[in-house]
Amino acid sequence: MIGIRHILVIVGLWATIVFFAWILSKYLETVYGDKESKLDRIFIPVENFIYGLIGLDKNKTMKWKEYFLNVLIFSAFSAVVSFLILYYQGYLPINPMHFPDLSWSLALNTAMSISSNTNLQHYGGGSSLSYLSQMVGIQFLQFTSAATGLAVAVAIFRGFAGKKNQTEGLGNFYVDLVRSLTRVLIPLSFIFAIIFIIIGIPQSLSGYTLVRTLSGSEQILKIGPVASLVSIMQLGTNGGGYFGANSAFPFQNPNPISNYIQMALMMIIPTSMPFLFGRMINRMGEGRTILIASYGLYAIDLIIAFIPVTVLGAGMEAGIGPFSSVFWTVTTTAFTTGSVNASLAAFNPIVIIPAFMGMLIQATPGGIGVGTMYMLMYIVITVFIVGLMAGRTPEYLGAKITAGDVKLAVIGFLSHPIIILIPTVIAYAAGYVHAIGYGTGPTSFTQIFYEFTSAAANNGSDFLGTTGNTVFFNVSTAIVMWAGRFIPIFVMLAIAGRIQERRRSSEISLRTDDIIFPIVLIVSILILVILTFFPFLAIGPILMHLEGIKNAL
Amino acid sequence: MHSDIKSDMNGSNSGRSHDEKVSWKNISFDSVLRLNPVKLISNPVMFVVELSFFVVLIMALDPSAFPDLAHQQDRLFYGVVSIILLITVWFSTLSDSIAEARSRATAEGLKKLEAETPAKRVHVKEDGGREIEEISSSELKKGDMILMSKGDQIPIDAEVSEGIAMVDESLLTGESAGVRKAKGDTLIGGSKVVSDSIIAIVTTDPEDTYIKKLVRMVESSKRPKTPNEVALSVLLLGLTGVFTIILIALIGLSVTLSLGADLSVLIALYVCLLPTTIGALLPAIGISGMTRMSKNSIIAKSGKAIETAGDADTILLDKTGTITIGNRLASEFIPVGKHTERELAEAAFLSSWNDDTPEGRSILELAFQKGFLPKEFDALREGVFEEFSAVTRRSGILLVDSDDFTLPKGGREFYQRHRFRKKFDLATTMVDDTTILKGAPESIKERTGTQNDEFDEVVNRVTSEGDTPIAVSIHGDVLGIIRFRDVLKRGIKEKILGLKKMNIRPIMVTGDHPLTAKSIASEVGITEFISQAKPETKYQKVKEEQAENRIVAMIGDGTNDAPALAAADVGLAMASGTFPAKEAANMIDLESDPSKIIDVVILGKQLLMTRGAVTTFSVTNDVAKYFAIVPIMFASVPALQALNFLQLTPHIAVLSALIFNALVIPALIPLSIRGTKFRPQSTLRIFMKNLLLYGVGGVILPFVAIKMIAIILVYAGGAL
Repeated sequence: MIGIRHILVIVGLWATIVFFAWILSKYLETVYGDKESKLDRIFIPVENFIYGLIGLDKNKTMKWKEYFLNVLIFSAFSAVVSFLILYYQGYLPINPMHFPDLSWSLALNTAMSISSNTNLQHYGGGSSLSYLSQMVGIQFLQFTSAATGLAVAVAIFRGFAGKKNQTEGLGNFYVDLVRSLTRVLIPLSFIFAIIFIIIGIPQSLSGYTLVRTLSGSEQILKIGPVASLVSIMQLGTNGGGYFGANSAFPFQNPNPISNYIQMALMMIIPTSMPFLFGRMINRMGEGRTILIASYGLYAIDLIIAFIPVTVLGAGMEAGIGPFSSVFWTVTTTAFTTGSVNASLAAFNPIVIIPAFMGMLIQATPGGIGVGTMYMLMYIVITVFIVGLMAGRTPEYLGAKITAGDVKLAVIGFLSHPIIILIPTVIAYAAGYVHAIGYGTGPTSFTQIFYEFTSAAANNGSDFLGTTGNTVFFNVSTAIVMWAGRFIPIFVMLAIAGRIQERRRSSEISLRTDDIIFPIVLIVSILILVILTFFPFLAIGPILMHLEGIKNAL
Repeated sequence: MHSDIKSDMNGSNSGRSHDEKVSWKNISFDSVLRLNPVKLISNPVMFVVELSFFVVLIMALDPSAFPDLAHQQDRLFYGVVSIILLITVWFSTLSDSIAEARSRATAEGLKKLEAETPAKRVHVKEDGGREIEEISSSELKKGDMILMSKGDQIPIDAEVSEGIAMVDESLLTGESAGVRKAKGDTLIGGSKVVSDSIIAIVTTDPEDTYIKKLVRMVESSKRPKTPNEVALSVLLLGLTGVFTIILIALIGLSVTLSLGADLSVLIALYVCLLPTTIGALLPAIGISGMTRMSKNSIIAKSGKAIETAGDADTILLDKTGTITIGNRLASEFIPVGKHTERELAEAAFLSSWNDDTPEGRSILELAFQKGFLPKEFDALREGVFEEFSAVTRRSGILLVDSDDFTLPKGGREFYQRHRFRKKFDLATTMVDDTTILKGAPESIKERTGTQNDEFDEVVNRVTSEGDTPIAVSIHGDVLGIIRFRDVLKRGIKEKILGLKKMNIRPIMVTGDHPLTAKSIASEVGITEFISQAKPETKYQKVKEEQAENRIVAMIGDGTNDAPALAAADVGLAMASGTFPAKEAANMIDLESDPSKIIDVVILGKQLLMTRGAVTTFSVTNDVAKYFAIVPIMFASVPALQALNFLQLTPHIAVLSALIFNALVIPALIPLSIRGTKFRPQSTLRIFMKNLLLYGVGGVILPFVAIKMIAIILVYAGGAL
């Protein structure tokens, strides 16, 4: 069912994205580097005002521990604010629909979900959140969590760049955060919000409207500040939509143009990160390696997704079409955004496999900022394993990889299966799965397994939706989301901090900027990550597919 | 050329008279003792495999202990699985035992060198006379004075204080080569005096000799792990953790989702996925690295030094001793003016007769080969010899009429001169006193007051060609120039080429004139050299290179070299060198062969490559094992059979995967002990070759092997 036309769409979109990402990376270098920008005249006064407001010394740089601690404190602080708004939304203003407070566990889940850039939606956005909750509890955090991801990434890049660019430490988290907001996320999402309004996505605070349809029945039009949310939810690879149905809901994604713009939006910043890495470490070839490996894995995902001849079952969004739905689903998991434009349950299970792959790898190219961070983690492990075969102590960017680095990378690597598999087993063993009406078949298992995978990968797409609004799933996924977010950030900031201090060799042992290394990297990721989860994929989506074939015969 | 380097490395092994005598009986016994779980805990991968063995063993004995996960009718199968698991662990302990047995055998061989020998201690009496006391070598103490005569074994490390002797220092290689030892030289316990007698002062206590150090290096059971080994262990521990989580999750899901998995099958998958191959062989690789160092007679003060050697970017090579054999040799007589080659050669012959330096001997040899023998030969008996002096930069001889012929001083040249003597015994014509001078051209010019353009031109030509000119004069008349040429060490060109292929920069260091240095350097293919080096030059160069973030390896022997040896990342000192040099270096070569630094680098690289290759192989093997076991893992989910493209029935699948997993270990023991094949090549090519062999091969081989084992099992099962 996939023809030349579709391949051209994919290649065309990729080429466009890569081109603009390359341009964006030049701009990002001025945002985070020492280079001056013409826009400084506008931004510097604004930023200085903000620094003054929060009492920040912008010249103070932080070592990795301090940087991480501030990331954690800031994220916790925003989660608490969000929690309070959601938990007390009934008492708070800007609530024309008079929605009641969220339960404590749902408020907790939502606050942890948004602050960790996950946006797992156990809430029905359009049917339970006030405008204040949507704008401050959700939308504001979507900006800050995306900005946190960017800040962490550039801090890590500075570490890998070595001491040349920075006298000491990885930079100042709050400066990076503020600049990410003022210079990147706010301007870009503003521009795209305007574009979305033009192409027909609503932006209003006037409350839901009751209309009489042509057939004479009454319908509530759930409109609100949708356009502004859509632009940041995609741009910041958050994925939490205004509506529970996300971009499958016509007000959030009315036509093919809005569909592709939203895809482009979620791809643009993660795609520019490898280029930014190359620029910051002054070796564009290394950035290219990350880009090739990410897009190579992304391409493998897409090929698998398009394998089944009978791709889609019933219930598809007719306006967007099967091709676009599958392309979107693979993309949203590849970039760990988690927005959806079609119901996952409607897909052939084979499509779910690459969705899993995207979330298990998290670097294809992954979420905003953190995607490249995960790729660096895989590079450290891969360089260590295969680098020995070159007959030298493995080095990345000239820095020798020590036992300490391997230990940290292994902790990051090990945390993922732990936080996915252990809660999945507990959910079944303690009967929480049965409590929400799910059975023990491959379909149910796939959905529960997907829930925790999505939470751990800070993706946010899910099968459960509001069904997941139970104390167990709210609390367990909340913990998983934070562990899945901050353990890897901790690990990679630590590695970056260590590598920054290390003596760099000027001789190249194993080249990581040629064409062979990305291939080695892809294979190594597939073996280490996907094969690890192979038994679980086998009893989940693969079994679903096989049983589907058997039933069809 | 590649074979040259290899044969050098191996040659020194095979040439040894006391090669390992490994007792297989002891090895088997030792490897079984090592199965003790308490001892295994230091190797986490193997430890969990052994735990798995116990679990499956219990399953075989009493399946009811594991409701839902074990079945009564499969007890025989569990029994077989548990035996394979135990054998897997045993293969691992076996590889340790073999590696240690080999290193023990090496240590035994070394100990024999320093076994109790009689020693002659010299006592100085109050009246200045000396008394010799026969004692055993173990009674010697630091500071004792000992006497050694021809045929004696040197009982302990010492420093010559009186006399000159030839000593055979080929401790371990078995190739006999005499070294001349004079006052101040170091003697290593275990070597043999082959001529003359010397008196020396003992420099160490019996428990601290170089041989003892070597033995300790090989034997030390608490060998600290090298940095790369530590990192690799961490990785293996991490992988073990990942697969343990997977095992736990699979057990949990199998029960809660009623997938009907058998615990023994889940454990089989777990063990197959664990990096058992590298886990089993990692210790053996490290031990055998040390053993191979000791076979090259190199004491490494730490395993880290060997690994660092593999990382070297730059090597500082001394010209003399490393690139060229110790001394320059006469290669041509160039007469000047109206003198003939014969006149020059004969004069040179006469002047060199009592010159015991290798240069002097080479003149005799060259003259003899060309048939230039002086008729004044007999006059040699009473020549007054002027020793070469660094101050006057010349040596000479004054010949007077005499009848006696004295034998030359001891040493290797004895026989040669003996032949001369027989041949010319009858020649008795002799003339007036003759003064022959030979030495540096400027010195001779100054002494004789010669002004000769042709002479200057010849001197310049010889110099510009990288050779050393020595002028010869008779009665104040300059006869000509003897050309002295450096003689390259055998195989050195190939070694240098190998270094360059490995992207290691060789830098030649020499005190010679720049032109001479350049000529030698270009002859062996070295582009960078430092000429007219002063004692501190090496240290400066080490620091310079390190400032550019390069890893520097170097060799040294003099006290002057000590700071550079200490600063260098890899410092190899010659055992014949001074004490401070040996203290500063992190490796000592007992055979004092400077070119061994290159072998050390190769050994370091081999160690790293072997570990990387086995790890990669271990990880890539998992692909096939997944596809063998996962499709048959859940008895209640027959639909997964669609993935079973190896077409294996459940028990056969588990057994073949486990058998393959176990057999890989002994199959790779020889590789771990000998190291991967190594040919000096660029890092990229080495990497690509290993990647193809162990990476791609590691994916494909197990598919084929598991299927073949399955076919054999089915066939054998049918036959039974």
